[in-house]
Amino acid sequence: MQVFGATQRASFDQAVRDCLNDLYRYAYWLCRDRWQSEDLVQESVLRAWRSWPGLREHRAVKGWLFTILYREFARSSSRARIPTVSIDEAAMEPQDHADPALAFDMERALRALGEDSRHAVLLQVLGGFTCAEIAAVLGTSEGAVMTRLTRARQALRRTLEPGEPAREAREL
Amino acid sequence: MNCLEFRRASLSDPRRLDAAATAHADQCPACRDFHARGLEAESRLAAALRVAVPEGLHARVLDRTAAARRPVRWLALAASLLVAIAIGFFAAAPGNDPVALAGIDFVMYEEAQAIADAKPTDVQVLAGVARQMGVSLSEQLGEIHYVGTCPFAGSTAHHVLVKTPLGKVTLLLVPDRPLASRAVAAAHGMQAAIVPVRAGSVAIIGGSGRSIVRTETLLKSS
Repeated sequence: MQVFGATQRASFDQAVRDCLNDLYRYAYWLCRDRWQSEDLVQESVLRAWRSWPGLREHRAVKGWLFTILYREFARSSSRARIPTVSIDEAAMEPQDHADPALAFDMERALRALGEDSRHAVLLQVLGGFTCAEIAAVLGTSEGAVMTRLTRARQALRRTLEPGEPAREAREL
Repeated sequence: MNCLEFRRASLSDPRRLDAAATAHADQCPACRDFHARGLEAESRLAAALRVAVPEGLHARVLDRTAAARRPVRWLALAASLLVAIAIGFFAAAPGNDPVALAGIDFVMYEEAQAIADAKPTDVQVLAGVARQMGVSLSEQLGEIHYVGTCPFAGSTAHHVLVKTPLGKVTLLLVPDRPLASRAVAAAHGMQAAIVPVRAGSVAIIGGSGRSIVRTETLLKSS
């Protein structure tokens, strides 16, 4: 039976505190529901805690937590434990965002992306991960991630800033 | 690096341009402008994704995680207790007399219900039974809290609850159950002795060996 010491608990709690906001926001844009997002974060943190004593590289803890959440989301979605809100049904609550109109546009823009591209964008913008780190989380190649991010940003700018991307497309 | 490569690099990770890309931007005004617009768009994207984090989220998540840690300790404690009980059971079992053990089980599981169900017996009736059995219920024994009758080990017992200086003691006086020799048992942190008297036997159940011996001595002091 594992016995977790006070030092392990303290270092784990600090690691979670350091990235919990980003982790929640990532969960939010996956589920698009604050309650499901909180459940997903909670479940991921619990899973992380169970594996914490075996984690050798505590400096890479943020990527590790995001990976756990991503896998937990994929697992829960496949078992329909987290019924992701259809984007057509999704309605952001006013308290979810300081600028609800901007959030609505964001949701519309994310809707237009493929799932893989959406994950890559969220991991980079919210998590601050490099293409190589995202590739590790998603289990794909760095080149594939770069391609997804390039296309995703073009698409997002096309949706969020009409007129601007047409020039970019020409420039590419 | 050419312009096409630079723009792909800028779109894939605008906040991390490598040295070659930075050098290209320094020499190419069009790509520099492209990248500046990209960084502005990136800021808007980051702002749009920055939904409000629910108040108290940190505390809730960490509290629930802390709560999930506790069962590990409880499980460890429960496992230790189980081992201790098992050791106690096997260590004590060989010397346990079944009737004395039944006395402990009676106190543990049946006494409260027996007191609730039974009609209290007159102390004078009990005194008569004690005399017939050759048992002394002196004031030295302690304060008698309850007197009644109850079924015990296939007979009817006179049930007496005594508050002694050494803790609560239960007596079960069984006039129609003679006994050849003294027998003892220990279980659930309690001790019991069933002792032969002039007519029948008495089961004495208490929290310590000292309280049993003291009670037995006083019972036989008549």
